[in-house]
Amino acid sequence: MSAPPGTIAALQAALAAEQEASYGYGVIGSHLSGAKFAEATADWVTHERARDSLTAMITDRGAQPRPATVAYQLPVPVASPAQAVVLATVVEHRVAAAYPALVAVPDQALRAFAARRMAACAVAAARWSGHSQAFPGL
Amino acid sequence: MAPTRRVVLAVAATAAAAGSASLAGCKGLAAIGPLPKPTPSVLALEHSIAEEEVLVATYQAALAAAAGHLATGLLAAVLADHRAHLAALRSRLIVPPGSKARLAPALGRQPVALPLPPGRRQIATDLAAAERAAAVRLTGQLLTAPPSLAQLLASIGASEAAHAMLLARLR
Repeated sequence: MSAPPGTIAALQAALAAEQEASYGYGVIGSHLSGAKFAEATADWVTHERARDSLTAMITDRGAQPRPATVAYQLPVPVASPAQAVVLATVVEHRVAAAYPALVAVPDQALRAFAARRMAACAVAAARWSGHSQAFPGL
Repeated sequence: MAPTRRVVLAVAATAAAAGSASLAGCKGLAAIGPLPKPTPSVLALEHSIAEEEVLVATYQAALAAAAGHLATGLLAAVLADHRAHLAALRSRLIVPPGSKARLAPALGRQPVALPLPPGRRQIATDLAAAERAAAVRLTGQLLTAPPSLAQLLASIGASEAAHAMLLARLR
């Protein structure tokens, strides 16, 4: 099955963002404990599942999913639980921003998936930061 | 500077109203027959605008009811988000002059706030439910919307999903 131009690129970009988020949550979790650690673990699992879904969507369309990088430059430094919470918020904002391109593809199933992921990231970011955004991802 | 679509439509409508044949061959919109029906994306946009208007009115009422309580900060922040949603949606809708009668009646109506129950907890519960319902409707509408409108609707829906979580946490 061949995808319209742009669809594979949008899927690969979303996959890269989810891979980076998975790495980020490894760092986030290592600075947290108790309820916050449990929240970080749940969010990490959510990003891993999204990564797996995207990987399948790309292979189903006859393309090769780009592998994750071994390590990523963190967008903010983390040396304390408070900084870990800031990183979690930033990570969720960054993943949300990777999905509008996928919301714009013709395939309605992909649009619905991308919109769900944008909403889940906005909810997680608001949970970590205590604040909502008017236009998450844009 | 090239004339914008809005200007072209306005000029055409003026020519039609004047019935003037002297305007360099421009016979107005009437010359090409009745205006087409609003497209599904225009209807989706109008519906979203009407819905945001109701949410803005509802949060204004909720803020008045919750004056002095702890939740005021959150309610004010959510109201600001909804005002931004409304402005973004309205900026996408270009209404040709003389065509207002065809548009959804909700557009010309004064938005009515949703009824709010007594008590902070119930208000938070009802507002969270309204946010979730709005987010679900947007997620449905974006599936068939033009790409750039779909992106805006997805982002507004994501914002509303976050509102629902923050409001539910108040309880």
